Amino acid sequence: MPGYSPQRQGERGFSLLLIVFSATAFWQSYAISGFTGLSTPGVFPMLASATMLVSAVCLLLQNIDRRNIPGSSQTSAASVLPLRIVVMLMLITGYLFAMPLIGFILSSAVFLFLSFSYLWRKPILVSLLVTGGSVAFVYLIFRKLFQVVLPKGSLLQGMF
Amino acid sequence: MSEVISNLAIVWTDPWLLFLTAAGTLSGIYVGAIPGLSVTMATSILISFTFKWPVNDALALITGIFMGGVYGGSRSAILLNIPGAPSAIATAIEGYPMAKRGEAGEAIGLTTVMSVIGGFIGIAALATLAPVISSFAILFNSRDYLLLGLIGILLVGTLSGESFAKGVFAGALGVLIGMIGLDPMTAEGRFTFGNVSLMGGIPYVAAMIGFFGVAEALVQLHQLDVAVVRQKVDRIVPKLHDVKRYLGLALRASGIGTIIGALPGTGGDIAALLAYDHARHSTKDPDVPFGKGCKEGLVAPEAANNAAVGGAYIPMLTLGIPGDAVTAVIIGALFIHGLKPGPLLLVETPHLFWFIVGALLLANSCLLVFGLTGIRIFSKIVECPKGVLIPLIIVLSAVGTYAIQNNPVHIYWMLLFGVIGYFMKMYGYQVGPVILGVILGPMMDSNYRRAMLGARGDVSTFLWNFVSHPISFILSLALIIMLLSQTPLLRWFHHWRSSDHQRGI
Repeated sequence: MPGYSPQRQGERGFSLLLIVFSATAFWQSYAISGFTGLSTPGVFPMLASATMLVSAVCLLLQNIDRRNIPGSSQTSAASVLPLRIVVMLMLITGYLFAMPLIGFILSSAVFLFLSFSYLWRKPILVSLLVTGGSVAFVYLIFRKLFQVVLPKGSLLQGMF
Repeated sequence: MSEVISNLAIVWTDPWLLFLTAAGTLSGIYVGAIPGLSVTMATSILISFTFKWPVNDALALITGIFMGGVYGGSRSAILLNIPGAPSAIATAIEGYPMAKRGEAGEAIGLTTVMSVIGGFIGIAALATLAPVISSFAILFNSRDYLLLGLIGILLVGTLSGESFAKGVFAGALGVLIGMIGLDPMTAEGRFTFGNVSLMGGIPYVAAMIGFFGVAEALVQLHQLDVAVVRQKVDRIVPKLHDVKRYLGLALRASGIGTIIGALPGTGGDIAALLAYDHARHSTKDPDVPFGKGCKEGLVAPEAANNAAVGGAYIPMLTLGIPGDAVTAVIIGALFIHGLKPGPLLLVETPHLFWFIVGALLLANSCLLVFGLTGIRIFSKIVECPKGVLIPLIIVLSAVGTYAIQNNPVHIYWMLLFGVIGYFMKMYGYQVGPVILGVILGPMMDSNYRRAMLGARGDVSTFLWNFVSHPISFILSLALIIMLLSQTPLLRWFHHWRSSDHQRGI
């Protein structure tokens, strides 16, 4: 992927996290059937997690190596997780958790309106219109044409 | 023979299938062209909508999307200097300078014709080689499938990412995710933590949509403010003498594209870059220098990436090994429809094979029609603001994930994979190998265990079998060469040799 500097803020932390994750995965793989045989269900998971562990350790070592190279500029934390992503992640999480409660149509409409207003910054009426159009489009195409069942809200008892 | 022709013709004669393929190709062109939407994303979301459809309908639509999408990336590359898909990176290098000179129409026309030629060559290779490879693949045993799986994941990991270790990590993570659930051989739980919902395994469509839809949408949020420059488009149908002049190069590039596409793990993006490189080396005296809008540099990658489509179907249909991320998703679709891609596909369901070839032929022909028309409306749609597009991708991803089993829990899986995928992408890890690992992991696991059981659990017999059987030996050799070429060992060796020379030894 072009445009990213090879050294990023928090990359070492990320590698460490991957090491911890891989080690836990290895321990859990070992717990499946231990070292009791070479064709047991646990062997392949152990091989996979061991591979992950080794490559994660290699990556951390490479990172530490690169630290002292002059001119290896570190990008700021904001470039990996800027405010816009955090806000959108919160909106998405809220949307997905609200969907089983208030239904697909209502939750999608609210989510789309909020995200259009935040990302697109057009007058409210425009955002509202595009929201209405998008929800109608998704509903017609998927519910009517593709016959897909859309989540209905448990709170509103199938109203939406 | 008559059976082959009648199966080839199904998609051409049934009006509904004809419509689906054409609609798929047309929407594929837009999906490929709109920066922020990818063919992989569209296919993974579509699979969930089409899994209740008859197999033929679903295959017709997905084939169209794939064919159109690979081509569509070239349009935004030429008009906006933004490759709509990775396979159009080389196209942007030459196409955009042409557009700036006012030759956008000519560039689009030429890429369309050359893409179609490339596409036909790839399909011809699929139709002639797949039956041969398939009859050969029946000789493969479990060891060889294990090796093929490993080679596939490693190729995707090494060629697409920024570092070998990151590619390996991503592939192994995918394999691990694929292991979750009840072991198909012993029904023992793996990573289920006593949780019933984990016993069926991770819903891999949720993983696909999370990694390719949600994660990609989140990454796209970084580039919300890229300004779009509009280009003037005039004559589109290319001049005949241009087509004749570049036909030789297009044929050679299609050859490269087909072979690269057919290698497990490599797809259109690598084929396009290699063909571009070939054009640069083989064109002695270009009218316009490379990088400044040279037609040779436009023709070669476009012919190659569409030829790679037919090529990519070869390992997918004959060996059950997906060629790249898109075919990994399509193979998922085949599994969902109860098909078993592999050497037996052509033996047990030859009609489906010929149906797919027919659909590819139709999609490629549609490309010629759609590629040379509708540019004006096209530029409008492609300029759809990302602030509108990204929230819509999220909504579609949620619908798609839910549609598979009407289970809201899958949506949370999608979100989790989306967030993991986002951080992986930000730290330079590719998500393609993860999906390949998820799909190939269970296959590799069962083949490894079968091979080990075949060796009666004896490590030395197990290892000896890799050397003593010709097919296994060749595949092992390929794997070892791949691994060695990625490790510092080779560099050390060269360094050691050169320092020896300097010392006069």
